[in-house]
Amino acid sequence: MSDFKINFRESANANIVDLKGYLDAHTAPELENALQKLVNNKQYNIVVNCKNLSYISSAGLGVFMAYIEEVRKNKGDIKLTNMSPKIFNVFDILGFPLLYEIYNTELEALQKFTNH
Amino acid sequence: MKLPTTHPVRKIFYLITGAAFLLLALVFNVIQKNIEMEAYALTLFKDIAVIVGFTALFLFIKLYWKRESFPLKRLVAILILSVLVLVITLLISQILPAEFETKSYQLIPIYFSSIIVANAVSTVLGVGAIIILLLLKDVIFHKRRSYTGRNFLFLIIGLIAASISTVDLSPYESRTVSYLLYGVLILLILLNSFRLSWIVYLSKKEKILTIVYSFFLFALFIGLKINISESANIGKYLLYYSFPLKIFIDGTFLFGAIYFGIAFIGTLFHLPTAEAFDRKMSEVSSLHYLSKLVTQVFDFEELVNSVTGMTLQVCEAKSSWLEIIQTQAETIAYNNGFRDSNHSVLIVANRNIAIDEIEKINSTSQKIESDEVDSIRKALINEKKPIVIDNTLQDKRTKHIKEFDIKIGSMLVVPLISHEQLIGILYATKDIEYGFDREDVEVISAFADQAAIAIDNSRLIEKSLERERLVREMTVAQEMQKKLLPQRLPTLDQIELEALSTPAFEVGGDYYDFVLLDNNKLAIVIGDVSGKGVSAAFYMAEMKGIFQSICNIYPSPKEFITRANQAISSSIDKRSFISLIYAVLDLDTGVVTSARAGHCPFLVASKNGISYVRPEGIGIGMGASTTFERYIKQEETQLRYGDVCVFYTDGITEAMPPEGEEFGYARLMEVVRKNYYKSALEIRDEIIHAVNQHMKNKSPQDDITIIILKWLKN
Repeated sequence: MSDFKINFRESANANIVDLKGYLDAHTAPELENALQKLVNNKQYNIVVNCKNLSYISSAGLGVFMAYIEEVRKNKGDIKLTNMSPKIFNVFDILGFPLLYEIYNTELEALQKFTNH
Repeated sequence: MKLPTTHPVRKIFYLITGAAFLLLALVFNVIQKNIEMEAYALTLFKDIAVIVGFTALFLFIKLYWKRESFPLKRLVAILILSVLVLVITLLISQILPAEFETKSYQLIPIYFSSIIVANAVSTVLGVGAIIILLLLKDVIFHKRRSYTGRNFLFLIIGLIAASISTVDLSPYESRTVSYLLYGVLILLILLNSFRLSWIVYLSKKEKILTIVYSFFLFALFIGLKINISESANIGKYLLYYSFPLKIFIDGTFLFGAIYFGIAFIGTLFHLPTAEAFDRKMSEVSSLHYLSKLVTQVFDFEELVNSVTGMTLQVCEAKSSWLEIIQTQAETIAYNNGFRDSNHSVLIVANRNIAIDEIEKINSTSQKIESDEVDSIRKALINEKKPIVIDNTLQDKRTKHIKEFDIKIGSMLVVPLISHEQLIGILYATKDIEYGFDREDVEVISAFADQAAIAIDNSRLIEKSLERERLVREMTVAQEMQKKLLPQRLPTLDQIELEALSTPAFEVGGDYYDFVLLDNNKLAIVIGDVSGKGVSAAFYMAEMKGIFQSICNIYPSPKEFITRANQAISSSIDKRSFISLIYAVLDLDTGVVTSARAGHCPFLVASKNGISYVRPEGIGIGMGASTTFERYIKQEETQLRYGDVCVFYTDGITEAMPPEGEEFGYARLMEVVRKNYYKSALEIRDEIIHAVNQHMKNKSPQDDITIIILKWLKN
């Protein structure tokens, strides 16, 4: 099983979460813990950078759905960036682009938070 | 002469022979009396008749002989028999005193009655001696060694030789060889008399009994021997009757006297160690019993009770109890354990002590809590080694028990260890201080080991039973789910239809179905519940219910998906979603109206080309009910003769061999493009074949479902 890694970074107005590797039913709880930690610390502006994400399963997609409601209620958002075409296709088929903001670059996402 | 071989015949033969020869001896006696002469030849004949007669009687008794392995019972038998012989012979001699006149070394009876009495007394004594010898043999053969049988045989040979050496002798004659043989016989008796190993294995109580029996037996045999001496009444009868028989009986009684004399002294010396030996024996038998119990895992209750019971018995403890350290899961299951700093403990057996007392012992006193003194239980959990508390009132871990008025002098606590993990604790207490020695620690530890194995076994069995039950349940679930999928595909003139669904696990989350709608339309649904296994299967079943009940009410795909979302989103976990395509084929016009709730787009292949049909949409359970509808778009596709639609789940496109890439949309499209002109069944098999090849025949990790629809109307 390829491993999965999460890295946190902070910018002026958002928390950036870097995902790396395989996000499936086995590793999804790690992402869930990560998002839970941010929400617990009242950090609601979240950018998830998917640049090094090589695979995502439906369980992985489910993690975002679990937190989007609460984050948005608190006037924050989860924005996704830097997806490879393959990863984007998975999000796209399920209709994520209709519900989530997905950007090519991290900068675009961060700017969106600033403009808010 | 051929000896009869069958038992009943042999018995009768021996009995009649014995009786006949003894009768013959009587006849000789009578003749001897009547002719009143010195008839040496008659003595010889008489002796031979006696020897043959008693040999036959011996063989007769031997046929009835049953070996008895417990020596003490033999001792009792010898005691009873020797008393009987003594009493009978004494009675006879008291009533009818021997009256003989001595004539040149010969004894001549004065009355005829004396002849009868001599015969009777001799027969009783002879038969008694034979039986006593056989009984003694059983005792000596207990725990026999290789030379035991040989030595005893020598003794018998010596006895018979000494007897035979006196054949043809008159009562008051003597032969040098007879004295010599008698001397050898005494040596042989001594040699056999040290076969006393049976005494060692007796319990203390039995040893005391043995001392008493041996003493009486020794006295009895001395008495019997004096009774048959030449000067005594009985001795005279016997001497008159047969010299060899007298020597034989005399030798036997001597053997009895010496053997039980030595047995008496031997047992006396064994008495001080009897207690220690008893304990060792009970340890051995307890461990044996426990190890037998260990294999009978279903008697767990009995086992733990036996462990504590034997702890009481073997080291004479006052009370004993056994605790099991539970795993997290077991704590939840039983929910009645005591928690002791991250360890949850369950008392599974307690003897002579109440559960609340046990908890008091294992608590620490209020006064010393500031010193951070561990309870005895906690101390053992930390050390994982046996702990002996010689004086509970002086040990800081236990001295608080005085406050609770619990009277315990000393304590022994040993761990139950399995796979280097502490799984339980065995306790024993005594009233006295310094009650537990090194041997106690060893034997109680051995009990603890047995208990550890048994607990381990029972846990394993429980696990495997649980597993078995789950497997059974899953099989049922699989059967149920198979029934949720269409048992028969609709057969219609306008189309060719094929479908296949294989779950990756026992139950899956893929679903497909067909319903023929009222206005000559066919509703097709294919869906995939996120996640795998049981939870996915539940949503799939719910999906089936929704599809069957509302497809006729909301025939428009967009409306159907919206309503389905309404029905499901309230019950579905927010991490889960269902992707599906709902398509309605107009069987008159060949128009497919479809909507897609986040599901893999379906393929439409025709002679003009092949493409994915991908109406916009989001997965069911993803958006709020109020806004969901606006994300769903509907699309129409016109089918021409020979066109093929391929619906599938992501198990196909995401099929990925280890260290390889996904099967993907391009490969799927290529397979369908190459084969679209074939029959629906053939197309389906080509796709499955291509996926299997891509997977290098490894089983897929996700459920795979596929539907092929071929339009056959102009």
